[in-house]
Amino acid sequence: MEKTNIPIGPQHPLLKEPLRLNIEIDGEQVLGSYLRLGYVHRGIEKLAQTRNYNQNIPLIERVCGICSYVHTTTYCRAVEELLGLEVPERAQYIRALMCELERVHSHLLWLGILAKHIGLDMIFMHTWNDRELILDIMEALSGGRIAHAVNQIGGVRFDLKAEHAEMIEDAVKKLNQEYHQLDEILENEPTLRGRTQGVAPISTEEAKRYCVVGPVARASGVDVDMRRDDPMPPYDKLDFQVITHADGDAWARTYVRLQEIRQSLHICDQIIDSISEGPTSVRARRKVPPGEVVMRSEAPRGEVFYYLRSDGSEYPARLKIRTPTLPVLGILPKQLSEIHVADIPVVLAGVDLCVACADR
Amino acid sequence: MAETLFILLIFPGIAFQLVSSWLFEWLDRKFQALFQRRVGPRWFQPLADMLKLFSKEDILPLGTNEFAAAVLPLTSIAAVLTAGIYVPIAGFSPASFEGDLIVILFLLSFPTFTYYLAGIISMGVYNDLGAGRALLQFFSYEVPLLLALSGPALMAGSWSIQGIASAQLEMGPFVLFQPLGFILAVVGLIGKLKRDPLDIPKAKSEVIAGSLTEFTGVKLAFWNMVVNIQAVVGIFLLVNLYFGWSDIAAPALAISVFFLESILMMVVLSTASAVFARLRIDQLAGFGWRVLVPLALVQLLAVILIGA
Repeated sequence: MEKTNIPIGPQHPLLKEPLRLNIEIDGEQVLGSYLRLGYVHRGIEKLAQTRNYNQNIPLIERVCGICSYVHTTTYCRAVEELLGLEVPERAQYIRALMCELERVHSHLLWLGILAKHIGLDMIFMHTWNDRELILDIMEALSGGRIAHAVNQIGGVRFDLKAEHAEMIEDAVKKLNQEYHQLDEILENEPTLRGRTQGVAPISTEEAKRYCVVGPVARASGVDVDMRRDDPMPPYDKLDFQVITHADGDAWARTYVRLQEIRQSLHICDQIIDSISEGPTSVRARRKVPPGEVVMRSEAPRGEVFYYLRSDGSEYPARLKIRTPTLPVLGILPKQLSEIHVADIPVVLAGVDLCVACADR
Repeated sequence: MAETLFILLIFPGIAFQLVSSWLFEWLDRKFQALFQRRVGPRWFQPLADMLKLFSKEDILPLGTNEFAAAVLPLTSIAAVLTAGIYVPIAGFSPASFEGDLIVILFLLSFPTFTYYLAGIISMGVYNDLGAGRALLQFFSYEVPLLLALSGPALMAGSWSIQGIASAQLEMGPFVLFQPLGFILAVVGLIGKLKRDPLDIPKAKSEVIAGSLTEFTGVKLAFWNMVVNIQAVVGIFLLVNLYFGWSDIAAPALAISVFFLESILMMVVLSTASAVFARLRIDQLAGFGWRVLVPLALVQLLAVILIGA
């Protein structure tokens, strides 16, 4: 068979977000690929300069449709650092709790998508069903399932009540049981292993060279986690492990994410146990003193990076966001070569693209 | 004349096969829904789906051979309906003859070739990929399937399905003597029906809908009918070859046992769909020739040695 180009996207059953991949194939062999981005560019960084610091919070929330909370948290922390504000401890714990819940639901969502792409619809339905538990908790806590709009500069707008704590403890118990099942499937299912093991591995050197972050880097043996390396309080007081795996293939990424779900559930338990009473926010001034700041957090997909410059007015002078998907897009053309056509979904799902984040 | 028309149009012809194909499609969707913690569709959903497809506009890309696109689904549905007439239903077989097993196996393979042609004639890259995969898959599952299905024929000493099925009245169900052959036949059937986990030619995340990507409306409805009737005929065939039925003298008992066994087969197919991930085409080819074919030969050898 001669060389053919197959288009993937901007609309394709494989993609939930618009992205264009032109893949050159020879029979069932992928030779190379060409990537085109920008279908969901919304100009958020420029838009942020035209709104004041408070108005920017709902805007920043819309950078990502899955991990919206970690973005607003990072933004608020950046502004708080410029203002020199000390956030109450209770607010710090609640922020960490929301981030961990978000990580669990993001990883469950991701696992479901991978399973669906390789024809395991059963796992897809089960993980998305479990994800509803988390979304219900988030809705009870903040009023929103995905976009919460509850962060504010100086703290959070809501409080963790006793009934919420109970809900979370129940969910953690249930999810821990589900987790054991998923773990067993991952270890023992021969077809799942057959489809993911050895598919498009990223070596440790490659991961470092392309600056890949998050679970993808950790699955390639790069021991990096912003929660431990540059901890926002209260992560320095919490006990958790950074999961790494040496293989770097799609199976290793699945393994790492599954283990991280358990770590996150463990963190949630600790937060519920050790959260102290107190106020959840402090008042912040509207005008921010001039200066610049860099803030990093660990989103479900890896490190998010915020650069914020203030000129002393009510509006940010510059806001730069780097999302974890960006370095992954760099390594994607390399990943999408010398594989089978059937491996394309596994590769794309394995690196967990968030196109809206990358386009902003 | 009237009797022939009844056989062709009502039982076990078009009407019976259509109704049972809807029934089994519904059962399949219901079982899969149970696996996925869903409620599943109501009983008339397959019929409603088909009627809706009939009402859709029928469009094909420019450059497609319209005549072939119209003829291919019709010929394949004719092939599977013909196959259905020769498969005995609970011992009732109006058109049985010595060697009908071979005819049916050919007729059931026919849609694979029309599926391939459908991919080639309609313009598009996904169709080409899906069509190529369909043929590759055919060569992987067909040989072990044929080898496995010759086991019951050799054991019964007859190449008519009726003969094989009635031989089991005395000897007991062949699934007890040839469990390996039965498993191979189920794998082959899954491959033939392009069902998950062997839905490689129409894997949604890889090739959209394979050969049928560009088909819509009535033509797509006919293609769906082909697969559903093929499933029913395949299930009935395996039930005949490996389970047989109870005494024909008591028709009510024979019919209920036959359908129970068929539903059991559907459960097996649905379970396989639910718990296994889709294989890659190279994995399937390797699996077919390195695992399934040797196993089928072992089974066949065992049958011959025991028979001798």
